[in-house]
Amino acid sequence: MPEPEHRRRPGAHRLSRRGLLGSGAALGSLGLLAACSNGAGGGEHFQVEGPPRKGGILRVGLTGGSAADTADAHSPVNNGDIARTVNLYDPLLMRDDDYVLRPRLATSFKPNAAATVWTATLRTGVRFSDGSPLEPEDVVYTFKRITDKKDPKVIASGLTMLDDVVKTGPHTVEFRLSEPNSVLDDQIGQYAGGIVPRGYDPKKPIGTGPFVLESFAPGESTVLKPNPHYWGKTGPFVDEVRLLSFNDDDAVINALLSSQVDAVSQIPLALVEVIGSDERMAILNSKTGRWMPFTMRVDRPPFDDVRVRQAFRLVVDRQQMIDQVLSGFGQLGNDMYGILDPAYPKDIPQRTQDIAKAKELLAAAGHGNGLKVELVTAPIQSGVVEAAQVFAQQAKAADIDVSIRRVDSTTFFGDDYLQWDFAQDFWNSRNILGQTVAGTVKDAPFNETHWDNPRFERLAAQARGELDEAKRAKLIRQGQEMLFDEGGYIIWGFANQVDAYQKYVAGMKENATGIPLGGYNFNRVWIGEVS
Amino acid sequence: MSTHILTSDPTGAPPRTSSKPPGVLRRVWAQSEGRVGIVLTAVVVVLAVFGPLLAAPLTGYTPYQFADRPFAHSGVFGTDNLGRSVLARFLDGGRLLLLYSVLATALGMVVGGALGMLAAYARGWLDSVIMRLNDIVLAIPQLVFALLAITVLGPKGWVLVVVIGLTHAPRIARVARSATLRVINEDYIRAAEMYSVPRWRIIGREILPNIAGPLSVEAGLRLTYSIGAIASLSFLGLGMQPPTADWGLMINENRIALSVQPWGVLLSVFAIAVLTIGTNLLADAIARATAQTTVEE
Amino acid sequence: MIAKLIAKRLAVSVLILLAVSVIVFAATLLLPGDPARAILGQQATPERIAALNEQMHLDQPPVVRYFLWLGGLFTGDFGLSTSANAPVAVLLGERLGNSLVLMALAALISVPVGIAVGIFSALHRGRRSDSAVTWVTLALAALPEFVIGIGLITLFATSVLKILPAVTMSPPGQPVWLIPSQLVLPTLTLALVVAPYIARMMRATMIEVLDSGYIEMARLKGVPERRVIFRHALPHAIGPVAQVVAIQLAWLAGGVVVVEFLFRFPGMGQALIDAVNYRDVAVVQAVSMIVAAVYIVVNLAADIIGIMADPKLRSAAA
Repeated sequence: MPEPEHRRRPGAHRLSRRGLLGSGAALGSLGLLAACSNGAGGGEHFQVEGPPRKGGILRVGLTGGSAADTADAHSPVNNGDIARTVNLYDPLLMRDDDYVLRPRLATSFKPNAAATVWTATLRTGVRFSDGSPLEPEDVVYTFKRITDKKDPKVIASGLTMLDDVVKTGPHTVEFRLSEPNSVLDDQIGQYAGGIVPRGYDPKKPIGTGPFVLESFAPGESTVLKPNPHYWGKTGPFVDEVRLLSFNDDDAVINALLSSQVDAVSQIPLALVEVIGSDERMAILNSKTGRWMPFTMRVDRPPFDDVRVRQAFRLVVDRQQMIDQVLSGFGQLGNDMYGILDPAYPKDIPQRTQDIAKAKELLAAAGHGNGLKVELVTAPIQSGVVEAAQVFAQQAKAADIDVSIRRVDSTTFFGDDYLQWDFAQDFWNSRNILGQTVAGTVKDAPFNETHWDNPRFERLAAQARGELDEAKRAKLIRQGQEMLFDEGGYIIWGFANQVDAYQKYVAGMKENATGIPLGGYNFNRVWIGEVS
Repeated sequence: MSTHILTSDPTGAPPRTSSKPPGVLRRVWAQSEGRVGIVLTAVVVVLAVFGPLLAAPLTGYTPYQFADRPFAHSGVFGTDNLGRSVLARFLDGGRLLLLYSVLATALGMVVGGALGMLAAYARGWLDSVIMRLNDIVLAIPQLVFALLAITVLGPKGWVLVVVIGLTHAPRIARVARSATLRVINEDYIRAAEMYSVPRWRIIGREILPNIAGPLSVEAGLRLTYSIGAIASLSFLGLGMQPPTADWGLMINENRIALSVQPWGVLLSVFAIAVLTIGTNLLADAIARATAQTTVEE
Repeated sequence: MIAKLIAKRLAVSVLILLAVSVIVFAATLLLPGDPARAILGQQATPERIAALNEQMHLDQPPVVRYFLWLGGLFTGDFGLSTSANAPVAVLLGERLGNSLVLMALAALISVPVGIAVGIFSALHRGRRSDSAVTWVTLALAALPEFVIGIGLITLFATSVLKILPAVTMSPPGQPVWLIPSQLVLPTLTLALVVAPYIARMMRATMIEVLDSGYIEMARLKGVPERRVIFRHALPHAIGPVAQVVAIQLAWLAGGVVVVEFLFRFPGMGQALIDAVNYRDVAVVQAVSMIVAAVYIVVNLAADIIGIMADPKLRSAAA
């Protein structure tokens, strides 16, 4: 674990791009609640350098909470659930700020030559928050619970090949697979794979994370206290973390500006520059692998004709998408997922808008007089409905008439989810093979484009069985090329994760996993003193 | 908006025989309220009707083109949540609101007027049934009713028109019924009945012209409420749908940046305010003009 | 005579409420979506869905379900919220309290202010101040509530004065009234919607009363003007105005929806909009019924006041 880094000031360089266009007025007006602010004024400075200071309370504002919130280690759904999971539990492995898998409760996790058996060596001296030691039986219990056939948990869909988990020594556990899987480490190295003790009761959660649950009111607030038995070397420094649920962006930003909370996760990208120009605020801008694709069903007209899919990909002005939908906070997409995966083929030329070529392809596919399609969209993630509107506007140039059908999220994820002919979705940072298993093989649980290609399937299976990284990358590349040429996704960009916090909060770091506020690693956060 | 009380204003006396429209118009114009009402309404109607034609020439952008980053300050009134010209969208944003409001009001007038006249003319059990059904619909607040209907049927233009129109109908029916009751006992109706003129002809030729006064007041009021209701639903995200340019929807979309880039919200708010005030003043002036007793003050 | 009339109105109100319950139930039957799946999530097994359907009586025919639901209403059992996976009563309890606080505050402000303005206007009839009041009330009465609300936000929260919060943001779990400043704008918005109607009605009624013969008589007898107004005129004007007040209060039950949405106020209206978005049928039913019940009860009160205040009926009873 790295020591908490000195607080950064990302807000400063963000502003330069467009100058302070109009933000003079905005600056003043954003102090909506300056009158009732109990925080320090903009002129003060804080001691956020040097060694971390102990003490204080960290108040974090979140949106998206509801009465259905949970502290269950294996069923996190929304933003707040993830924050609780990350801080109450530890998985065997976890991705760090740079999206590299690092040991957590396992000091090593190694496959056999055939990639059919993986052996985890557990860290010694780890205790659960109730004082009991971490034992192999707990790991066995955890994965039984996750893969319970009657109630499979969030990461179970990536563990379908997991036959059995067996204790093989005082500190070792074997994961026995029914088919080779060279990326099992990626599948279990997720925040939803936290190790829990035998007899785990989500109502009285016990874990090995840096914090323990002091109180929890779903949809309202969560109070976390430091775990006295925490095994990690870093922190926690604060005496208490409070997670507060707010109804929506407006309320949470007002709470930040009036110093009712110290940090908020995910602010609207269109407001980043103005919030960043407030002297009291700091912005945490992390590049991530989160993508919000358009999904075309490759087995349904008009998208069953590959030329139509290619034409649709060519009408997209990707930079404009990023500018209008993400206010510039994103990276270009090239119709392939997994940008953070080392095997992501960066050298395939960037696809750009080509209306003439798109029209040609459409004419060749028999749509010379234009084409009318319905795009189903829903506010499932900020930016999704907006992207639909930008796409509809861009597609006009190629005589494609896109009628937008906005439904509510419940309808979107209802009976027709994964069945829409032309719709949208969003995914967080994932490695390519993990994503493939989830969405682009025949029996994948989220095969929203209905991609069913025997050659692709063979490549994916081969790659999963290949332990040699270079060889695996080659196989992955072949698969990605197929998606680039013929796939049903339009992947126009990868969105940044942008959070905001008060400048007296120290230890926040950019994090590529897409988990807000530096991956919710509150153990490294501390409250700076006024100096 | 609340239940109106304007028609129960004690200065309004029951209407008598045919008040000719030109006379009414002159009497409306004679009041300062009427003049202001006509001017305000006309300004917004002209804006809504001709604005769409001016959007591109005036701003250089269509209401759907991207002009800059979201919530930027370029152009006269800056850009909206997707970086489109606020002014272009504002100019384009009144047409549907006005159209749907007029249609909803017309639907409410036709359905409510017919039911009310029928109830008054038929009396007896039909009258009771109609008026009790009225009471039931009136017991559900308009907005809750609209929310239910839109959730079931989806936010489509015709759903808005039908829902708003039908929630107006019971109120209009009440007015039509009591106005009809007042004229139905007049001698000329009795006479017509004695000469066995067909009923539909009596309703169309004799009753309708004589209750036109109170009904036109009601129409003005209902138009005001239709505008408010449709704009409110769009504001809630349940009326007009993106990427439509619409005043109510613009408020919904750009509200988050009210403190940073207020124009996306304020222009629309202002237009809706002027329009509803204008139609309300007009309705009030018509009420006085058709009241025929000397207007107070 | 009065008792009989009131009893009749009461019976009619109950019947109307029952009819409303049929409409609300029928409408929510048509809502698309699968409540059991919504509660259990995408990966639920068919067995668990079937079990929950049975538990929620969703396997019964609609008529049976209607009566089970209606029976539940009388015992305070509003069913299970699908989004919260908790009883609706628990979910709505706090929110109902928040909404009632907001409505009560709005009524407390708008009723006296409306009446005072109406009287003032009537006494200054024909003068400049009267016509100013007439114009302002007529304009305010025309504005949709969210237009008034945004106007107030612009004036007091974001652009001109910046002294009040634009949205409600009480820390979760804390009652809204612990931060009184955030109640100001929502209350003021509702009050500004309601007060103009009361003022206009008060003015009209007062003018009518002031023109009547017995006020003339009182004045001729040399009763002081102040006494004429407060002892003779006001009591006669209050009856019809009370009815308008009641109608306005009934309107608050529905009007609070938009205002709560605008100010992100954690009340019933916000709950209704959320529930509609999440297809949370039980909550939609419960909120619709509560709003309709408030509406009907207040209207009933208005009718009763009207009956009591009617001089003809009063003298008939005496």
